[in-house]
Amino acid sequence: MTAPLVKVDAIVRSYRMRSGMFGRVTDLRAVDGVSFDIRRGETLGLVGESGSGKSTTGRMVLGLEAPDSGSVAFDQAAMPTTGSAAWRSQRARMQMIFQDPLSALDRRWPIARQVREPLDIHAIGDAASRAVRTDELLRSVGLSHDQGLRYPHELSGGQRQRAVIARALATRPDFLVCDEPVSALDVSIQAQVINLLVDLQAELGLTMLFISHDLRVVRQISRRVAVMYLGRIVELGDADHLFAAPQHPYTRALVSASPAPGRRSTERIVLTGDPPNPAARPAGCAFHPRCSHAFARCRLESPTLVEIAPDRSVACHLTDTDTGTVSAAASEAAA
Amino acid sequence: MADLSLPQQRAARRRLSLPKIPTAVVVAVVWILAILVVALLADQIAPYSLTRMDLKNRLSMPGNAAHWLGTDELGRDVLSRLLFSIRISLLIAFGATAISAVLGTLLGFLAAHFRGLIEQIVLMLADFQASMPFLILALAVLAFFGSSLQLLVCLMGLYGWERYARIARGLAISAAAQGYAGAIRQLGATPSRIYFRHILPNIASTLIVSMTLVFPEVILLESGLSFLGLGVQPPMTSLGNMVGYAREYLGRAPWIMLAPATTIVLTTLAVSIIGDWLRDKLDPTLK
Amino acid sequence: MLRFFAVRIVRAMLTIALVVTFAFVVLRLSGDPALIIMGPEAPPEVIAAFRKAWGLDDPIWMQYLDYFGAIARGELGRSMRDGRPAIQLVAERIPATLALTIPALLLKLGIGIPAGILAALHRGSVIDRAVMAAAVAGFTVPSFVLGLVLVLVFAVQLGWLPSGGQDSWRHAILPIITLGIGGAAVLARFTRSAMLEVLGQPYVRTASAKGVAWRAVVARHALPNAAIPTVTIIGFMVGTLIAGAVVVESVFSWPGVGRLLVVAVANRDLAVVQCVLLLVAATMVASNLAVDFLYGFLDPRLRTGAQAGAH
Repeated sequence: MTAPLVKVDAIVRSYRMRSGMFGRVTDLRAVDGVSFDIRRGETLGLVGESGSGKSTTGRMVLGLEAPDSGSVAFDQAAMPTTGSAAWRSQRARMQMIFQDPLSALDRRWPIARQVREPLDIHAIGDAASRAVRTDELLRSVGLSHDQGLRYPHELSGGQRQRAVIARALATRPDFLVCDEPVSALDVSIQAQVINLLVDLQAELGLTMLFISHDLRVVRQISRRVAVMYLGRIVELGDADHLFAAPQHPYTRALVSASPAPGRRSTERIVLTGDPPNPAARPAGCAFHPRCSHAFARCRLESPTLVEIAPDRSVACHLTDTDTGTVSAAASEAAA
Repeated sequence: MADLSLPQQRAARRRLSLPKIPTAVVVAVVWILAILVVALLADQIAPYSLTRMDLKNRLSMPGNAAHWLGTDELGRDVLSRLLFSIRISLLIAFGATAISAVLGTLLGFLAAHFRGLIEQIVLMLADFQASMPFLILALAVLAFFGSSLQLLVCLMGLYGWERYARIARGLAISAAAQGYAGAIRQLGATPSRIYFRHILPNIASTLIVSMTLVFPEVILLESGLSFLGLGVQPPMTSLGNMVGYAREYLGRAPWIMLAPATTIVLTTLAVSIIGDWLRDKLDPTLK
Repeated sequence: MLRFFAVRIVRAMLTIALVVTFAFVVLRLSGDPALIIMGPEAPPEVIAAFRKAWGLDDPIWMQYLDYFGAIARGELGRSMRDGRPAIQLVAERIPATLALTIPALLLKLGIGIPAGILAALHRGSVIDRAVMAAAVAGFTVPSFVLGLVLVLVFAVQLGWLPSGGQDSWRHAILPIITLGIGGAAVLARFTRSAMLEVLGQPYVRTASAKGVAWRAVVARHALPNAAIPTVTIIGFMVGTLIAGAVVVESVFSWPGVGRLLVVAVANRDLAVVQCVLLLVAATMVASNLAVDFLYGFLDPRLRTGAQAGAH
C-alpha cells in the first residue's frame, strides 16, 4: 500500500485563556490526541459540532499552527515551522478554502488579480502565461473573464467562494483543506459548490480534508469520515458504512438527526446535557454526561480508538471487539 | 450600485467626482493649492531676497508700490519674507507629518505582527507620548541639542506618531482576525507583502485622515516654537518667527505681525476643513 | 476593583520612569553632562568633583540608577545662571503660573461645556453652527496670535489693559482670556460630540418615549453619561496646569514656570529644564491617575469589575 499523503499522529493543541491582566488562567484543550491518515486522491470528512476542535485540527494539518505535541507529516516529510520560508513555499502544494469567502478576499483587489496572486507569490511563469492561467482557472470554476474584473463585494456568495477555490487551485496543489466551505452559502448554492469540488477533485486528482458540521454535505463528498467530539476522534471509517451503521452513541445521535433518503426513519436520538465546552471537559470519556449508555467506567477512563473492522474504528468502552459493534447489552454486562 | 455597469461603478467610486462638495471645502482646497504654489515658487515670485534690507524704508506701511505688505524694522520686505516663511513652515510641516506617519505606521505594524513584548513596548511608548504635552518634550530636546533645521524636522516628526501607530495596529489586528490577511498569508505570501500590498492600502484612507488632523497641529507647534525663538533660527524665517519679531513693533507696525499670523490661521483652518470633510466621507467611525 | 487601581498605579509609575529615562538618555546623548550642567567656563576641579559626585566615571547602568536615586532625593542640579537649586527656582514660579492657569481652567469649563451642551441639544440649528464656528476659530488660531491680537486691540489701540508684566490684577486679564478661549473651543467641540453620541443612544430615546420630560432626560441620563469621556479631557487640562501656559507667558512676559522654561532652554540651563520636565510629568501622571480613579467611580461598568484591565 502506498504511503498516505497526509499523516497526522496524536496531535494535541491547548490554548491558555487569561481573563484580564491579572485574571485566572485556564487551559483550553482544543485538540486532544487526534490521529488519522489521508491517502492520495481521497477525501476525508471531519465532522463535529462547534467546540469539537475540527477547525483547529484543519489548521494544524496545514501547518498554520503547530501542535503542542504529536506530528503532522505531508508526503512523508515533517511539516516545516509555520511562517518559515520552507513553509511558505510549501503552500504551493496545499491550500485552504475558508468558511467566509468575503473575508478571505481583499476587498480592494479585483477577483482576477487575487486569483493570480499565488502565481505572483511563487513566481510561476511570466506575465503572459499568468494571465492565461488566470482565465483558465476562472473558467474551471465557472466564472467568466468579466466577473474576474469585479470586486469581491460585487459578486454573490457562491461566486466569491468559486473565486476562492480558483485561487486555491492556482499553483496546482496536491492537497486542499476545506473548512466549512459552504456553511455560509444558501442551500441551493451549496449543492453547486459541492458538485464543483467533486468535479475538480476527479479532474485534478486532489486530496481533501473536508471539515463540516453538516452531515449531508460531508457524505456527498467524502470517502472516509472521522467524527470528532471535544477534541478527540470518536469514530472513523468508510463514509457509506459509517452513515449506514453508526456505532458510537454520538455518531448515532448525529446521523439520526440528519434526514437521508432511503433510510428507515428510526427514532430520533435526542442528546441531553450541556453542549460540549472545551474549557470544561468532563472527566473520563468526554461524551459521558450526554450518553444514555454511560456507566461507571465512562466517568473514569477515556476510551481509545479501537479497530473493529478493516478501516473502521470506534472509541467507546462498550465496543464489543468480537462482533465489531457497540451495544447497550455490553453495558448491562459491565454494570 | 449593483445595477450600474462596471465602468459606471468604478467612476462612482472615485471620490473626486463626487457631485456635492461644500463651498467651504472648495475654498480651503484653493487656498492650500495657492500656498503650495507659493512654497514651491518662492524663489521666483518673491520680489526681494529674504534678508535684503532697505534701511531708508523701515517700517513702511503696506500698500506702497515697492513693498506691497510693508517692511519690517530692518527694512526687509514683509511680502518676500512671508513667501519664504511659508516655504519653510510648509517644508517642516510636510516633512514632519510624513515622518511621523511612516514611523507610526511601521511601529503599529510591528506591534500587530509580533504581539507580545514588542507590542507592549510600543503601546507603552504610545501612552507616554500621548500623556506628555509635546511642547514640553520638544523644549527639553531643543535645550539639550540646540535648534538646527534637520533636528527640528526630526523632532516634529515625532509628533503624533502614536495616533498612526494605534490605528495601524488596530486595523492590522482586525485584518488578521477578519481573515483576508490570514488567507493571504496562507497562500505563502511573505509578511511584508501582506502588510504593504494588502493591509496598508486598506487602511490608507484612515491614515490619510489622521494626517490631515496632525498637519495643522504641526504647523501650530512649529510656529509656537519659532515664536519663542527656539524653532527655526535666523537667517531662515518661518511664520512663527515673523510673529515673534513683530512683537516689539506691535504698536508701531502691526502689519508685520498680521501678515504671517493670518497666513497661519487660514492655512490651519483650510487643512482642518478639508480634514473634517474627508473624515466624514471616508470614515465616519473616526471621532 | 483593586486590580483595576493596581494596574493604573503601576502604569503611572512606569510613565514617570519612562520620563526620567528619557531625560537621562537625552542628557547623555547631548554631550558630557558635567560640562553641560556646570557650564563650559567651570574650572576643571569643579568638573572633576561633579563627575565624581555624580559618578560619571561609573558604568552607564550604574549612572542610570544613581540618576534615579538623585531624582528621588530631589537633587535636580543647580541653575547655571545664578547657582540656586533648580527646584527652588521652579517652585517660586509655580504660584504665578497657577494664577493664570486656574482661572483659565474655570473659564474653559464655564464657557466650553455649556456651549458644547447647547450645541448638541440644538443640533443643526443656528446656535449649533455658531458655536462650532467659534470653536473652530478658537483652536485654529494659535495662542500667541490670539494673545498678540488681544494686546493689539486692548492694550495698543484702546489702551484699556496693560500689555505685559505682572504688576496688577489687570495684567492677568488678557493672558487668562487667551488661555481660556483656546481651551474652551476644544472643550466645546468635545462636549458636543460626547453629548451627541449619548443622545443617539437607545436608552435616551426610551426614556423620552416613556414620557419623561426632556429636561429630566438630559439631566439624569444624557449629562452623566456624557460626563465620563469629558472627564478625560478635563483631566488632561488639569494636568497641563503647569505646562499649558508656556507660550502665553512669553507673549505677556508673565514670570511663571513657562517663561522660566523658555529662558532656560534658550540658555541651555539644563538643570532647570530637567526640573520642569519632571514636574510636568509628575503633574500629568497624577492627574491621569485621578481621572482613572474618578472613572472607576463614575462608570458603573468599571465598578463591578466587568472590565478588569483587558486592553
